[in-house]
Amino acid sequence: MIHFDNLSKRYPGGFEALKGINLHVDAGELAFLTGHSGAGKSSLLKLLMLLERPSSGALLINGKNINRLADNKIPSYRRQLGVVFQDHQLLMDRSVFDNVALPLQVAGQPRKEIGRRVRAALDGVGLLSKEKHSPMMLSGGEQQRVGIARAVVHKPRILLADEPTGNLDPALSAEIMALFRRFQDVGVTVLIASHDIDLINRMNCRIIRLEQGMVADDGGAYGPVS
Amino acid sequence: MAPSVKSKLRRGAVGSRIGFFGRLRAAAGHHSHTFQDSLLRLCKEPLQTLMTTTAIAIALSLPATLFVTVDNARQFESSFESFSQITAYVENDASARQIANIENQLEAMTEVASVVYISPDQALQEFIQGSGFGSALEHLAANPLPPVFIIEPKEKSPAEAGQAQQLVSKINKVAQIEDAQIDMLWLQRLRSLTQMGQKIVLALGAALGLGVLVIIGNSIRLAIHNRREEIIVVKLVGGTDAYVRRPFLYSGLLMGLLGALGASFILVIGFWWLGGSVVQISELYNSQYRLQGPGFQGCLTLVAIGSGLGLSGSWLAVGRHLKDIKPR
Repeated sequence: MIHFDNLSKRYPGGFEALKGINLHVDAGELAFLTGHSGAGKSSLLKLLMLLERPSSGALLINGKNINRLADNKIPSYRRQLGVVFQDHQLLMDRSVFDNVALPLQVAGQPRKEIGRRVRAALDGVGLLSKEKHSPMMLSGGEQQRVGIARAVVHKPRILLADEPTGNLDPALSAEIMALFRRFQDVGVTVLIASHDIDLINRMNCRIIRLEQGMVADDGGAYGPVS
Repeated sequence: MAPSVKSKLRRGAVGSRIGFFGRLRAAAGHHSHTFQDSLLRLCKEPLQTLMTTTAIAIALSLPATLFVTVDNARQFESSFESFSQITAYVENDASARQIANIENQLEAMTEVASVVYISPDQALQEFIQGSGFGSALEHLAANPLPPVFIIEPKEKSPAEAGQAQQLVSKINKVAQIEDAQIDMLWLQRLRSLTQMGQKIVLALGAALGLGVLVIIGNSIRLAIHNRREEIIVVKLVGGTDAYVRRPFLYSGLLMGLLGALGASFILVIGFWWLGGSVVQISELYNSQYRLQGPGFQGCLTLVAIGSGLGLSGSWLAVGRHLKDIKPR
């Protein structure tokens, strides 16, 4: 589903965030991306979201090289993705419902369909009763769950998450992780960037550790980064 | 890929497929929703909206006022076209036979359409009736007015003033004609004045139209700045540039529309207010002339121009400033 082929990203100024990354993530797989800050986790996710373009190498999604995607094709590519952000990127001047509805609105879905799907997504994260609330009235964990509902409301095939539990306590983090696991169960490819070692060790999943822009480890659980 | 996963994915993809009409309906729904949202945003900041639309209204009303004024002058001018006649004064001591002779000569000229003779007695009667000096004139020992011919040239438009001038000098050469005059010089002056006015309307219209573009562009720039977060999120979830642009285009269109409505209001009120004085003046001059306001069609044109300027102003601003916003 996701395939990195000798992918490098060099920023103007000479900093090399990613150096020759070779990775393959299967459809329906849940994998963690970990490493120190500055190791290249965010750069990797940015390339996947096409917020940035790689300097060299190929990035294949579903067998298609997205490096060569024209700028005007980017929106429709992004609609295949679901993205959960650390700072959840919710719009505080809109209701929970409207926030979750956004990916469907930009895709031009009919209103009836939007209502049905938004409620299904909110139900999935246990926030159906709060659809009319403003995100500001919700707790941090609830806000993050709204962010997740928005990321999955359009049934993406790939779900990316950048430090989704960054600001949450362990109990809430575990809850969020359980949610991701449920999406994996229905066939979504999930890639989560996180440095919460304890939590990801407990998940018993594939862990990809980056170090200085290179893949340092790719496999099962591992001990705390020394 | 496991078969069960495959089938689930396929179901998901089929579930998200929408027909053409569904998309069309959704697009129409989105347009009306965006329009309402843009209107609501303008209402939420009444002071800002009022200031912007007032500035637009004033900027539009200036060239529009001048345009309607020049239009009035042109109508006034064209109402005088039929009056462009030549008056030929005959020497006071001309005999009836000589006068008949002059009339024949004038009628024989190819440039002349018609000739009307007004005897001194007739002229006096008209003057007594028309001027209100009747009792004073009764005290005159003799009729001081000369016999007069009113000659209508075939070519009457002010544009052919040269031909008319030639005719005047030809008539002047006829024996016993004291003086022939054509009352067209002031018409020519008015004509060149209105031509200049039209040029000023164009220049002023272009300058202030540019001003409206700048006013709207600036408010859109501010609006884009204020909604930066929203733009980023919309782009992150796959919103197209057209989707992001739409609310700002509607805002610009609405601002231009409201400004033009304001300008129409200023114009209608202004010309109505001025109209009363013009009626008084033209009655003093025994004229039927009435000031023409912008009219329904004029207001409609103004509103169309305003909306067009609003739309183009926001288009320019959006094109210029949206590029700067890249999702992080």
